[in-house]
Amino acid sequence: MRVQLLSEAQGEGFVPPSSGDFELPPIFGENALTTKPIFLLFLSVILISAFFILASRKAAVVPSKLQFAGESVYGFVRNGLARDVIGHEFLRFVPYLFTLFTFILVNNVFGIVPLLQFPTMSRISFPYILALSVYLVFHYVGIRKQGAFKYFKEIMFMPGVPKAAYILITPLEILTFFVVRPLTLALRLFANMFAGHLLLLVFILGGEHLLQGVIGLKLISPFAFGIGIVLTFFEFMVQCLQAYIFTLLAALYIAGALADEH
Amino acid sequence: MPKSEENAMWSIFGYLLSGLLFWGGFGYGLDKWLDKNYFTLIGLLVGISGAIYLVWLRFGRE
Repeated sequence: MRVQLLSEAQGEGFVPPSSGDFELPPIFGENALTTKPIFLLFLSVILISAFFILASRKAAVVPSKLQFAGESVYGFVRNGLARDVIGHEFLRFVPYLFTLFTFILVNNVFGIVPLLQFPTMSRISFPYILALSVYLVFHYVGIRKQGAFKYFKEIMFMPGVPKAAYILITPLEILTFFVVRPLTLALRLFANMFAGHLLLLVFILGGEHLLQGVIGLKLISPFAFGIGIVLTFFEFMVQCLQAYIFTLLAALYIAGALADEH
Repeated sequence: MPKSEENAMWSIFGYLLSGLLFWGGFGYGLDKWLDKNYFTLIGLLVGISGAIYLVWLRFGRE
């Protein structure tokens, strides 16, 4: 009986969403360079450039709505992130942090934009490259500011610790600074986008599948769609938050590399 | 969440993870090498204590 039920359930043919749903075929041609995430990436660059060019072109003392919107985003990154975290040298990092923030934000929000509906950052290569750029920037900044020897010495040997303790904690400092930090930076962004997209797929594809079932199931499907809609708003929050956290941590790492004592 | 707390939270997470990975991995290597089975556990405990010590050094000393 149980086996029969199982086979009937399988006969219904609901295919649960899986990681396979993230491996999209090329839109044209036979190579991996024409997949949807790549196009979304280019689209995001075009959208961001167009938005900020338009917003800043006719800059006036009394700003238009567009200029106001553009300046709010810029001001948020400049004052809320760069200045508060990095301190007096913040100005030269604003372009980098601003690019990071808007780029990640737009690519994340693509996850809930109708028709696009795919967060680019749910493919892990993109967060890896972004984290790599942060990694190079903050180590470069630290080495330039303090000199390579002093920089590495301060990472490895914290002052005011008994000598014997260095055996225990120096490997941890090295691992944290050179492996764990960039890796968690990339994985946090990736995993949030991946899980969020999967969650939406479960409820919306599930709702659609219930709609094709018997009448009892049809009545349940609006709840699945309802939860799907609620989760879409939740996802929007997560997408903004992850863009913010990525940029914030990048700023914190830069600030840490600039500071004399870590 | 204030920025300093965000920083502390992720730094602590990073230290704990590195502690477990490094000394746990070291113990695991010893186990494989000497054909024993208790070094992994010792390594994990040493790693987590080291990480907590490091967290205290960095955030608890003020």
